[in-house]
This record gives sequence, C-alpha cells and structure tokens, in this order.
Amino acid sequence: MPKHTGRGFAAIEYPTGMNQNGDPSQAWIKMKPDGRVDVFSGTADIGNGSKTIQSQIVAETLGVPYDWITYDNSNTDSSPLCTGTFASRATFVAGNAVLKAAQKVREQILEIAGKELEIDPSDLEVIDGEVVAKGAPQRKIGVADVAAAATWTYGELITGTGAQLNPYAAIVDTETGRVDLPPHAAISYAACAAEVELDDETGELTVTRLVQVYDVGRAINPTLVEGQIDGGAVMGLGLGVLENCYPYYPSVEKRGDQFGAYLAPGIEGLPQLDTIIIENPSEGGPYGAKGIGEMANNAQPAAIASAVFDAIGVWVTELPITPERVLRALEAKAEPRREGKLVIFDEELSVNAVGNGSVSFEVPA
Amino acid sequence: MKAVGARLPRYDGVAHVTGKTVFVDDVRVPGTLWVKALRSPHHHAGIARLNAKPAEQMKGVRAVVTHEDVPKNVYGHLEALGIPADEPLLAEGDVRYKGQPIAVVAAEDEDTARAAVEAIEVDFEERPALFDVRKAFDPDAPKIHHWGNWYPHFEGEKDRRQIRKGDIERAFEQADVIVQGVYRPAAIEHVPLETQVCQAVPEPSGRLTIYSCTQALYFSMGVVATHLQVPLNRLKFVGGTVGGGFGGKVDTATETMCSLLALKSGRPVKWRWTREEEFLCSSTRAPWHMELADAVTNDGWILGRKMLTLHDSGAYARFSPYGLTKHSFHHTGAYTIPNLEFDGYVVFTNRVPTTAMRGFGVTSVSFAVETHLSRIAELLGIDPFELRLKNANRIGDTSPNGVVYTDPSAVPTIQAIADAIGQELKAEYRTMTSDPREGEWLPEHLVAQVADPKEH
Repeated sequence: MPKHTGRGFAAIEYPTGMNQNGDPSQAWIKMKPDGRVDVFSGTADIGNGSKTIQSQIVAETLGVPYDWITYDNSNTDSSPLCTGTFASRATFVAGNAVLKAAQKVREQILEIAGKELEIDPSDLEVIDGEVVAKGAPQRKIGVADVAAAATWTYGELITGTGAQLNPYAAIVDTETGRVDLPPHAAISYAACAAEVELDDETGELTVTRLVQVYDVGRAINPTLVEGQIDGGAVMGLGLGVLENCYPYYPSVEKRGDQFGAYLAPGIEGLPQLDTIIIENPSEGGPYGAKGIGEMANNAQPAAIASAVFDAIGVWVTELPITPERVLRALEAKAEPRREGKLVIFDEELSVNAVGNGSVSFEVPA
Repeated sequence: MKAVGARLPRYDGVAHVTGKTVFVDDVRVPGTLWVKALRSPHHHAGIARLNAKPAEQMKGVRAVVTHEDVPKNVYGHLEALGIPADEPLLAEGDVRYKGQPIAVVAAEDEDTARAAVEAIEVDFEERPALFDVRKAFDPDAPKIHHWGNWYPHFEGEKDRRQIRKGDIERAFEQADVIVQGVYRPAAIEHVPLETQVCQAVPEPSGRLTIYSCTQALYFSMGVVATHLQVPLNRLKFVGGTVGGGFGGKVDTATETMCSLLALKSGRPVKWRWTREEEFLCSSTRAPWHMELADAVTNDGWILGRKMLTLHDSGAYARFSPYGLTKHSFHHTGAYTIPNLEFDGYVVFTNRVPTTAMRGFGVTSVSFAVETHLSRIAELLGIDPFELRLKNANRIGDTSPNGVVYTDPSAVPTIQAIADAIGQELKAEYRTMTSDPREGEWLPEHLVAQVADPKEH
C-alpha cells in the first residue's frame, strides 16, 4: 500500500515583545474641531494590521466610531518613536502607547463636557460618540460639540501622548542566564494538529489539514487574528515541507534565485485550515491582548514531523521534509542506538560525528 | 458600537486590493538616479586592490561610494544592547560572503549603473571558506571572522549563551530513560513580494528624505544617522507601509547607501533590488543545529534537559546573538523542566548573514522540542497529549531563567486542540487547570521550584 495517512500535534509558547524587553513605543493623538481623531504612531504596518488594531484601540477607548479615526504612521517628522514591527510587539507594546494617549484624550473630553453639562467629569462616560451622564442618559453632549467647545469656547487643543516601555531585564548571571525581571511583555500559547497523506513509493507528502488553537489574550479584531494564524500556518507549511535556501546545506551550491527555483507555498493545494481562538487575557496588554503574529509559524513543522512518523514509522528531523528525505528515511529505517538507559537518535547528524573540535555534546550515561 | 473585538475591515484593505496603496516603489521623484551595487563574487576573499575611478569617469555616472566615503563604516545594529559591531556597510579589506556589497553606483539609468559596476576594478585573493557549523570548532577549520569562528561577546567576554538551572547530573541519574536527538531546520527566504527598495531625496534645506520599506522607521533612521554621523533632524524617514517583511526588513539594507549616494551626487537616487538579489543577497532565516538529551521517567515526567545549539549566523553577527539568547530563554517550550544545562553558540560561516524572521530564535526550538517530545511519548508508550499536559506550565512554575509564570495557558490550549480533533482525554487531564501544582501534579522533582524558583 503506497498511501499512508497520519496525524501529529505540537504545543508551543512564544513571548510578546522583544526578548528582555526595553523596547519603547510612543504615540500622540489630537482631535479636530469636529471631534474627528488623528493618531500618530511610528508603527510600520507590514501586513500585520497594526493600522487597524491601533485605530480600534483608540476608537474603543474614546468611545467614538472607528471611522472617525485617521491613522498616520507615514513619517518620522510627525510620528513619535516605535521600536519597530517585530517581536510580536505592535499590538501589545505600541497598542499600549496609543491606549495611554487615548486615555488622556478621553479625560480632556470628559472635562470639557463636564463644563458644558455642569456635571462632574467622573459622572460622565462616552458612548458611540456622545458624552452621557451616568444614570441620566438624557443629559448628554456629542463629542463633536465637545471638540468644538474646546476649540472655539475654551481655546484648547484636545490632545494626548502615551508611551510604553517594559523595563529591560538584564541577565544578572552569565553562568545561569538568570534574570530578575520578566524578559517578556506576555507569553502566549498555541497548539497545532496536522493531518498528512504520504506516498511511500514517491515520498510525496501532502498536508491535508491543519487545526490550530491560539490563545491571543483578547482578539482586538478576530478577522485579522485569523488572518495571522492562517498566514502563519502557510509559512509553517513552507518551513516544514517545502522551503530551503540551501538545498544541499551546508553547501551553498544550487541556491534558488527566482520563484521558479525556490519553493514557497502558494494559494493552490493548501490544506484545510481550522482555526480556533481562545482568550485568556494578558495582565498588561491593551484590553488583555497578547502578540501572536510570529508564533503562528512555529508549531506546524513539528506537528507535521509527528504526523509523518504516525504515517510511515520514521522520523525526519531535518527540514524541510522533502520526498527525497522521506524516501531516504524509509530506506534507512534507522533505529536508535541503545546503551544502558540512553536512547540515541540521529547520531550521524551530531557535532560529535562531523566535527573534531572543542565543542561536542556529551551526555552523562 | 464596540470597536475592540469587532470584525472591522482592514484600515488599508480596500487600497491594497485595488492597487491604490503607495509603496516605496510607487514614489516618483523627477531627476532620480538609479543605483546598482558591486557585490562579492566570492564566498571569502581578501581585497588586494579596489579602484572605482573607471566607473566614476563614465558618462552618466553621478556618484560612486565605497567604504572610504562612509563616515562610520562599521556599525552594529544592536550596539545599544551591548552587541559590538563587526559588519562594514561596504566591504573593506575582505569579503566574507558571496553577494556582499563592495561599492554602489548612482547613474542616470539602470544600464549605465550596471555598466559602471562592471568597470570597477577589484583584485581578490580567494581564501578557504567555512559552511558547516559543526566543523567551525575544528583545529584546522579556516578562520573566517576577526573574532574567531564563533561570537565571543555575550555579556562582554563570554563565547556562548548558557542556561544552568537545578542539578542536571542528578536528573540524569534519576532518569529511567535518556533520549537524545538532533534537529536541523533549514534556512529559508523571507520572500516578500516587495523586494528591498529605497528612494533617498536631498532636500533644499539640507535634509534627506528617505522613502523606506523598513519594518522599523526609527530603528533604521538611527542606523543611517550613525553611519552618516548626523543628528536625527537631518533625516526624515517616510514609510510605514511595507510590502511584506517577515523580519527581513529589520536589517537596514539599502537606506544608508542610498543616503550616501544622494548626498554625494546631490540628486535623488533609487535602489530597487532585483528578485535575484532578493533571493541571493538578502538575509535569510538562520539554519539551526540543535542536540537534545532529555532525562525522563517511565511515567512521562521530564526531569532534566541538556541542549547544545549551534546557530548558523552567516558571515556577520547582525541580530544572531539576540536571537540565540531568546532561543535559550525558550528552550523548554511550553513545559516546566527544573534541571537544565543549555549551551548555545553563534557560529560564523561564509553564507549571507542570517537575520530575524517570524518567530526569531524560537521557531527552531519549537520544532526541536516538540518533535523530541513526540519521540519520547512514542518510546515510552504514553499518550502525547498526556505527556505534554503533565509537564505543561502551570501558575507558579518557573522559566529556564527563574521567572515565575503568572498566567500560562498551555493547559487550556492543549485541551482545546484535543477537543477540536476529537481526541479523548482521561478525566484527570480533561479537568486539569493552570492552577498551581498540587497532589499528583506536584511530583518530588518539582517541589523544590515552588520553594526556590530561581534555583529550580
């Protein structure tokens, strides 16, 4: 029987924010005389959706419609510093900066509305673009009117700045690698199950289904979160079964220099993707969010490797799992070497087998 | 209407799908010169002679820039984090990977720029190259980096990243089985649809406007300002809209060289990498070599882990020391393992420098750890879900470097995936929570970490 099916799974964790923290983001917000809102942030949107996410955070915090928000990350003259869009930090770290700026803007809105309504600001809230007295919703003023009053009556600009910096967690002991502060802004967890179909005559491996569960803390925008997870799954698929800059690694020969010679996954032939979001709110993220942009491609390769074992009973531990590697593994049918209580796999790949230098891998027997 | 939690449309979605979004390559500036680079044809070579004059004298060539034109040629991306500089912006004295830039040219059109690159005279002295990280430590390995073949500056002077926790010898003594394996994920390309591209425009005010596809405007602005030795008010970065990055546009690949050419020529310049350059000369995800030995009990507790990681950095350090440190912090995966001995090396080879990519430092270890655990489950004849749930992080468990977890969610995510694929869990695993360990979930080897999280 040449066709075999298998299932495998993997569970992972990943930090939000730069490792060891110390990566600031800043934001400022100003309000136009009709209540429309300009957000200035230095966060590049690399497809992760940070323009949308940060706009949603501002709209939610101010209590105004999403389409009142203009988001500007276009240049360093008007936007303040953001360390960058990497390290799964744009939603959490930069999101906190715009959240804090929006909170300050909200305070000013309530203060000016309080003067207009002759109500203490602490008794006011903003709902759908209107400042409303708690418990007396007939007493209200539109945010647009508040912004107009600020401009034309009180001579003020409604504006706010915010910044987020989780303190740098230095390694305090180079022997142990110990740190005294959390080296991450949050940690998120995920799991992935892979189903594969494998032809033992050709080595052809087809990933037929990827089921994925991500704890995102709080999904600011579930559609964009699903986009990150599905996109990550496809990258994980590339890493697991297709892509390799150096097909004869460690040799540098035969590098692919064009799309026709480098196998990246395309939209054709994708596995069924089942994506499940769970929400276990983070302690410090905006509205409980965590960053999951990067980890979205981390779980699939191991889940696929386990599914391959389930299908044909051999382990492939060099990526990608190409038909050639599948066939070689089937031919070798390698069994681990056993020595006392040691079970040793992959000996031929070890630095002990290939190198003769000062670094080796010694395990107490 | 609530904004948070709503399935609102992407802020820039319609513009993207209708082709209206302005990316760097869509910017049009009259009078723009085109940039091309002279790149090393060798993996490792000395540069005995470099003469750019024949290119400078060509009709239509407006500027040629070599290392001599760079106010600060050697600058590290992470010097602020204590990672010293090793990589020149433009090669000086030697080249350490095929594709390394040696000189850049700005000319009236692309063909002239290409011809000018070919006119630059360079005498190379080829040297032996190193590609296998496992051979980098051999006494007879070619020496390919002025620091030696592996990075020697962790916290100043340490040549590896270490994690030590608990008592690894005791864990291996007490183990019923010790399982060893080797895991080697490959280098992969970022494959952005938008290749590296930059437009630099000298303004009448003396400032430079730099249209950039960077993932980090201020970070890249800092890199350019340092190479040029100018204050930040001389530069204006325009960007924030990126046609695919995935980590590959954290390296400031084009902006500094374009800035130098714009200043030297007094003209706007544009550099758009070809697809071939993107594949062959841009940084990649690193290939990793990981060896694990786990000390386990017959009933599936992981008592200890010994691990060796060789991180193939390519020709220069870039972000690799940072990536390896992050890797070390996460080498236990989603699980608590109280006894650890981790050694990791950033190893130099004569390939294109590797860099950040989605999941940086951890993608590799997730593959290694999870494949290894599946092997262990299979060897012990234990359900792989139960093996993982048993060892999964709980409130009060500690990280490899002694940080107490306060809100882990390993347990509910594993339970949710089991549920999603119809995998039956035994009652004690189905009802498990992230609450602090007690009873059967607090075996003897984990008792000490509750009392003394830093040590265990």
